[in-house]
Amino acid sequence: MIWIDGVLVSKGEGGVYGERILKDARVWDPYRSKLGAIYYKGSEVDLTPEMRVLYLGAAHGTTVSHVADYTEVIYAVEMAPRPMRDLLEVSRRRKNIVPILADAAQPETYASLVEEVDLLYQDVAQPDQTSIAVRNSVFLKGGGTLILMLKTQSVDVTKEPLTVLADAESRLARAGFTIMGNEWLEPYHRDHAAITCRKG
Amino acid sequence: MQSYWFGDIGDDGECKAFIGDITAAVERILALRINMGDFIPLNWQSAADCGICLNREEYIRKLREASILVTERRIAEAYGKKDVALLQMVSALDEIDNIINLLTGRAADWYIVNTPAFSRKYRRTPTRKLVKTIARRGEGAMSRLAADVEQMSETRTALAREVSDMAEKVLPNCSGLLGGLVAARLMYNAGGLSPLARMPASTIQILGARTALFSHLSNATLPPKHGIIFQHKRVHNAPAEVRGKVARVLAAKLAIAARLDLYRGVAVPEFLESAQARINAAGVVL
Repeated sequence: MIWIDGVLVSKGEGGVYGERILKDARVWDPYRSKLGAIYYKGSEVDLTPEMRVLYLGAAHGTTVSHVADYTEVIYAVEMAPRPMRDLLEVSRRRKNIVPILADAAQPETYASLVEEVDLLYQDVAQPDQTSIAVRNSVFLKGGGTLILMLKTQSVDVTKEPLTVLADAESRLARAGFTIMGNEWLEPYHRDHAAITCRKG
Repeated sequence: MQSYWFGDIGDDGECKAFIGDITAAVERILALRINMGDFIPLNWQSAADCGICLNREEYIRKLREASILVTERRIAEAYGKKDVALLQMVSALDEIDNIINLLTGRAADWYIVNTPAFSRKYRRTPTRKLVKTIARRGEGAMSRLAADVEQMSETRTALAREVSDMAEKVLPNCSGLLGGLVAARLMYNAGGLSPLARMPASTIQILGARTALFSHLSNATLPPKHGIIFQHKRVHNAPAEVRGKVARVLAAKLAIAARLDLYRGVAVPEFLESAQARINAAGVVL
């Protein structure tokens, strides 16, 4: 990861969403991007130039644009048509983004487009977030990394965030993932936990 | 056999590239449903073996071209549905209502400052008339503000009529039970016709009672009996002891009506008649 004076940045064409530019690099704001936040929290999952990424819950393409600056290709899946129009604009300008308008819970609708990836990143606000990750793990190569942004409030508002996290981790472990660690995204995002695990 | 965006690869490893122009290729990708049971993620090398591309760069370029077209098609489909415009109209209506209320209140307060003797007590001045008075008697910007509110009220009336007309086309059965305006609000709260049609009756019953529902889930308060459907006269006119029952019956019938609207798209008189009878019967206190 590229840091300039303690600020996380990515190198690429700027002006995607009005991000700040620091010494010719695009500032990656941890308050806007959950993936950005985990690097401020000390995540060791490096984004490398040969990496292939499947990104579920791409939204407006803010975080996607930063990931694209670091990696070889990124498959960006988003379900809602409205943010997808923004994401399309971003992917027209960045030649390594493959936009896919589909429901991440139904990989059968986009499986013909996605190749095997090194990193599966998921940030969807759905109650069945864990099973979505498990269903999409077919795209992840053996030994590949899964980063699951667990939005505990979307899973069940009546449960304690800690319970929701423990439940998700045990389900991932049962599906054949090795849990590497978890991190709460305070103070950048509330009630969000990032679970990092390895396939196999 | 494995199907990928560029063609099919048989179990013997033989590749059959898809032949056809880009439009046909997009159609094929849109229709593809992969069996995830024996799915093998694609390897770009097999696309090269298929003769689709010479190198990785060309592979990504062609894949992006296809996926951007597929995405554009899916966006167009999503926005082409007839309920999408209705959603915007309901949203606009709610916002106009808000603005009119806010500005009317402000104009009245402002008018009172300049006219201390003014009072609405014992006069029964309807708000519309009050706004008219301010527009005529007020000064400068105040009078213009009131005139704007008046004009916005006209827009609101026209918009409400349009919403109602459109709802009767998009939601003929729901409108038959609820009236166009309330039916449109119900659909707006569900997020569209197809989400509404997928909802269980119990969810439809409390659509629009979000705060009450969540306070019920996290505290020990009573569950809400009704949300938007309270606006139906059979619900709000029902005696308190059967109001919950009427709401339940109405919601159950609406769940059926929404499915009829989505899958048939025309009013079904037999259904409307029997549903109406059932709702009326539910409101009778024995």
